Amino acid sequence: MSDPERQGARLKTADGTRSALRAFLKTALENSAADAVLLPVATPAGDSYAWILTRDPAVIDNAGPVAPTMPVQGAKALKSLTRKGKGAGRVIAVMRPCEIRAAIELSKLNQVHLDNVILLSHDCVGAVPLQAYVNDPAGSEKAFDAMLKARKTDDEAVKPVCRICVDFSLVDSDLHLGMIGLAGESALLIPASDKGKALLESMDLACGEDVSGWNQAAAKLKVVREGKRSKVLAETGAPLKGFDGLHAAFSDCIGCHNCQSACPICYCRQCYFDSEVARRDPATLLDTAVARGGIAFPGNRVMFHTGRMAHMSLSCVSCGQCTDACPVDIPVADIFSYMAGLTQETFEYTAGVNDGEPLPLRQYREEEVGKVHEIVRGAEEEEAAHE
Amino acid sequence: MSSIKLDMSAHEGAAALLRHLLGSGKVRAVLTPRKDPGTGAYDIGLVTDGAGLENAVPVDPVMIANTGQILSSLTPAAKPLAVMVKPCELRAFVERVKREQGSLENVLTISYTCGGVFPIEKVIEDAFGDTIPGYFKQIASGEIVEGTRDTCKACEHFVPCNADVTISIAADPSSTSACLIYLNTDRARELLEGLEGTRSDDDFDPALTGKLAAGRKAEKEKLFGSLISGGDGLDGLIEVFGKCVGCHGCGRVCPICYCLLCDFESRSFDYDFSYFDKELAEKGALRLPPDTIFFHLGRMTHMSFSCVGCGLCSDVCPVGIPVASVFRKVGEHTASLFDYVAGRDVEEAIPVMVFKEEEFSDLG
Repeated sequence: MSDPERQGARLKTADGTRSALRAFLKTALENSAADAVLLPVATPAGDSYAWILTRDPAVIDNAGPVAPTMPVQGAKALKSLTRKGKGAGRVIAVMRPCEIRAAIELSKLNQVHLDNVILLSHDCVGAVPLQAYVNDPAGSEKAFDAMLKARKTDDEAVKPVCRICVDFSLVDSDLHLGMIGLAGESALLIPASDKGKALLESMDLACGEDVSGWNQAAAKLKVVREGKRSKVLAETGAPLKGFDGLHAAFSDCIGCHNCQSACPICYCRQCYFDSEVARRDPATLLDTAVARGGIAFPGNRVMFHTGRMAHMSLSCVSCGQCTDACPVDIPVADIFSYMAGLTQETFEYTAGVNDGEPLPLRQYREEEVGKVHEIVRGAEEEEAAHE
Repeated sequence: MSSIKLDMSAHEGAAALLRHLLGSGKVRAVLTPRKDPGTGAYDIGLVTDGAGLENAVPVDPVMIANTGQILSSLTPAAKPLAVMVKPCELRAFVERVKREQGSLENVLTISYTCGGVFPIEKVIEDAFGDTIPGYFKQIASGEIVEGTRDTCKACEHFVPCNADVTISIAADPSSTSACLIYLNTDRARELLEGLEGTRSDDDFDPALTGKLAAGRKAEKEKLFGSLISGGDGLDGLIEVFGKCVGCHGCGRVCPICYCLLCDFESRSFDYDFSYFDKELAEKGALRLPPDTIFFHLGRMTHMSFSCVGCGLCSDVCPVGIPVASVFRKVGEHTASLFDYVAGRDVEEAIPVMVFKEEEFSDLG
């Protein structure tokens, strides 16, 4: 957001942002600036959205292409397309900033190949919770359109994690649609990489517009959100201390693992906790029950969530899909966002940044060994002081 | 001597029965639903000492997981276990036993005439506990309780099949003040020899539940008729499953779907980019991730004739697809082709595991 040289192309949005974006994408296909577009399209029943890959401009007429809700995280759609390697054609993927950040994390994990993908992000006003959308598609569309028009998040209408999102604007995408701080009649298409520049050039779209107004407005909102985020996540984290805190947070968990299968980062085909390795034989389970006076099913509740945290919190992008998928309304995304804040800070890592920095647990740094010793010693001293 | 009457409500009697079994030392552990009085959260406890039964709510109208699925991890049991199961959970377990995913040996199955359970989203509401006394009154008078799972309201199999012990609750007006326990097997009579109560020679009479059975059947016809308006073909499937997010939660909580790794999550369903290119060229557009409807059809093919209609799949669906109702409807149809009832009898072979030379000759 801070590149002073950055300029953009103006996009007229008098008929609505969604309509302007559709027109742009259709032109891109018609001019062969791209070979296909990946974007959310309403289901035939009009009760949700699905990711559609298309090269047919007519399909785009029915597309979101910014959808009010996020039924499937876009990074997952991109994973299914490119897991086994890149394609020959150039695909424009229209996704929310958190979807693009997840896609970048998955590319670091070799689950997504971005080489021929042009990531098109937009200033995100947030997503309507999935259940709220499917219960009232018409009302949700109306609320979302109002937000897009005002270019402002309505906290009542969006997911809890969207209200405290700090990466709602330009992330490491190739092309960005900036709207915040601009009057409703226009938006800015801002190239953010060589790929993005080349796309606009091939469409003869001149990038001479000043973007500083958008830039300042986005930066200002980010500061506000950062304050809100630290406050809300501190409140989320306070009761989580110790095993009892975690146990209480997950006491309603029924072990369906929907959170994991909806998570864009959890890419394992088979979670350890669903595997043969995690199974205990009947005799061991009975012995454990006898030793403790009883055991509870579904088992491994806290263990599953802490295990998942340990595996993916460094890459968590706070998209909120886990909360949407939870049948017992556990605020999974708040809890995981809190933990992710801590782990990412510890490793001085920010998920979703495409700066060539590998994932912290996938690189070896000699000096880290000394740091670990310090941390362990510190913890031991703290424990000793308590006793 | 086939029944014992306890002088307390059926739900209290069920807990007393479990305490007696554990206290007598004739079983090593008891498996039962429990409720944390502080948080209101339910779990299913494998309890080995009496203190663990304080929070037991053996017949509360709640199913957070299918006990039939849990029993697979606890069997074959080296020592006797007493397990509290709803009729559909027992049937699910029997289906699993047929698939070598568990064993009935050393397991005393205690079940009851079931009034149905509430969807999990209701169970987690703060005021849920307040509704339970009213629920027991309603089911005693043979009512179909509003707000219980769709597949429960439409369940005709609420009388347990082949349970060792049957407690009379639904459609038994006396169940709010008396607990009638039927001992159906030698194992039950032996293990409950010392339980104090009024003994009688009466066997459970399923005819008493005829009115409720008729009501449930009518509900079932209504439910099956209301499911799909777009027809039985692909359009109808898209109408129902179009909003599926592919989380596969339905498969994971299903007591019949026992595969550790569903084929649809395996490498068999990873595609090269060239496949998508070909699809794009042919159709102009395709959905990602792919195979949304295919997954449900695949699961139907694999498990529908064993579907017991427990309803967990609907409960965990994040977008409210009536998965259980659709699978029950399809399941009833596939099972009827084989004159099969899921979980009715452990000796009854799974239809697709049996080769009959003369079968389906009309298919050519």
